[in-house]
Amino acid sequence: MENAAYVGLSRQMTLRRELDIVANNIANADTTGFKVEQLLLGEEIGERARNAFIRPGVSFVLDNGIGRDYGQGGLEQTGRNLDFAIEGEGAFFKLNDGAGEAYTRDGAFTLDPEGRLTTGGGAAVQGDGGEIILDRSLGEPAVAPDGTISQSGNPVGRISIVRFDALAALEKGGDGLYRNASNASAIEATDARVRQGMLEGSNVNPILEITNLIEIQRAYESVTRMIEGTNDLSRRAVERLGRA
Amino acid sequence: MRALRTAASGMAAQQLNVEVISNNIANMNTVGFKRQRAEFQDLLYQNVERMGAQSSSQGTVVPTGIQIGAGVKAGSVYRITEQGSPNETGGRYDVAIDGRGYFQILLPSGETAFTRAGNFALNGEGQLVTDDGYAVQPNISIPQDAVDVTISKSGQVQVITAGTTEPSIVGQLELASFFNEAGLEAIGDNLLMETAASGAANVGTPGDVGFGQLRHHYTEASNVDAVAEISALIIAQRAYEMNSKVITTADQMLSVSAQVKS
Repeated sequence: MENAAYVGLSRQMTLRRELDIVANNIANADTTGFKVEQLLLGEEIGERARNAFIRPGVSFVLDNGIGRDYGQGGLEQTGRNLDFAIEGEGAFFKLNDGAGEAYTRDGAFTLDPEGRLTTGGGAAVQGDGGEIILDRSLGEPAVAPDGTISQSGNPVGRISIVRFDALAALEKGGDGLYRNASNASAIEATDARVRQGMLEGSNVNPILEITNLIEIQRAYESVTRMIEGTNDLSRRAVERLGRA
Repeated sequence: MRALRTAASGMAAQQLNVEVISNNIANMNTVGFKRQRAEFQDLLYQNVERMGAQSSSQGTVVPTGIQIGAGVKAGSVYRITEQGSPNETGGRYDVAIDGRGYFQILLPSGETAFTRAGNFALNGEGQLVTDDGYAVQPNISIPQDAVDVTISKSGQVQVITAGTTEPSIVGQLELASFFNEAGLEAIGDNLLMETAASGAANVGTPGDVGFGQLRHHYTEASNVDAVAEISALIIAQRAYEMNSKVITTADQMLSVSAQVKS
């Protein structure tokens, strides 16, 4: 009897969650290195609330995951020589923030008072041999596309660029960081290029997100109308049956 | 509904962005000003369904999980210490730094501040001071009978006094450099202060390795690029509008739900 209302409710719940995700995408339309996300929906075959003899059963909507688009964001020139962008999908800077390894696409780095290359949040950027320490008195650091840092022409270290075979292993940790939530280990990303003096913008497509927003709102309204209709139907049924 | 708060965080971030951009534009003609840039980061995530969690008793696992972000926050607002273009002023005590380094200025409080603004002047005692009358360190005094003053690329201050033809050296300008220039704290009046994040000042002679050279009769213009700032302003405004659109949508969805009759 209440199946229609329950199916509608499952769609309403997923629509609200979709709205939350679209809102997060739009809020991060200008966030360095942000990767856009989308809710993945699936059909969940459910049992009927009553009368198990009639097949097939009803299908509910269930959100069964998040799809993250690791596509390249646009590169923006900042003119600061400790800003780096990665050109190459799915490759990351490797960091160590005390809580373990983390990965990021946000290459707005600074030097701490000891000359260590860190992120804005203080996580140490990892190179081939651990942390990268620069001595500013040796001259301005120049970074080659493969990550090699040189000062006055002498190589002083190399920024590690890594990737994962299965990107689904990564979990977002906030602050532009990703954490490895699986047993897979990071491998060297040989095809990715580092660009100095640039930052990678967010890969959110604002027009697409606004369209999603409209779609979500209209779908929500129509599902709500359907629930109202079901409600009316059962009320009328109760009234008529009561009269008989 | 989380979407309302997420969009509000997006609007707050864009507001900060506009504040930073407007300060850059306001200081377009400030001597030695370095433009700033707001950098944003995503806020924490809520794991609705954790990736790698068991999804059945047969041992299947959730491959991607569901993580819902809570919006955006300002990661940092940092100064871009790119060189500003040298601007020929002809000023007798104007000095621009071409390269790295800051002039050291003694504040009335006894602390040392740092600046890129080299539009100096003399005070009543013939001392080299900033616009505000704070002495440049190390102290340089110009004799009253000086006819001409020359500041060399390496910071030597030479004067020719009346009646002589040979220049005599009256002082040496020094520069300070830092590991992390972005960590310096701006206190207004073109001055910056040393902090724990910037590291201690490393003082040296202009023209040495790691220090810039001086250009006499020039000042350093701000490194604000008007076109880039205006386009950044447009992007910020549109992003603000989109976030407000999300709030409207979330509100309308809530009102649709609220109107369902029982």
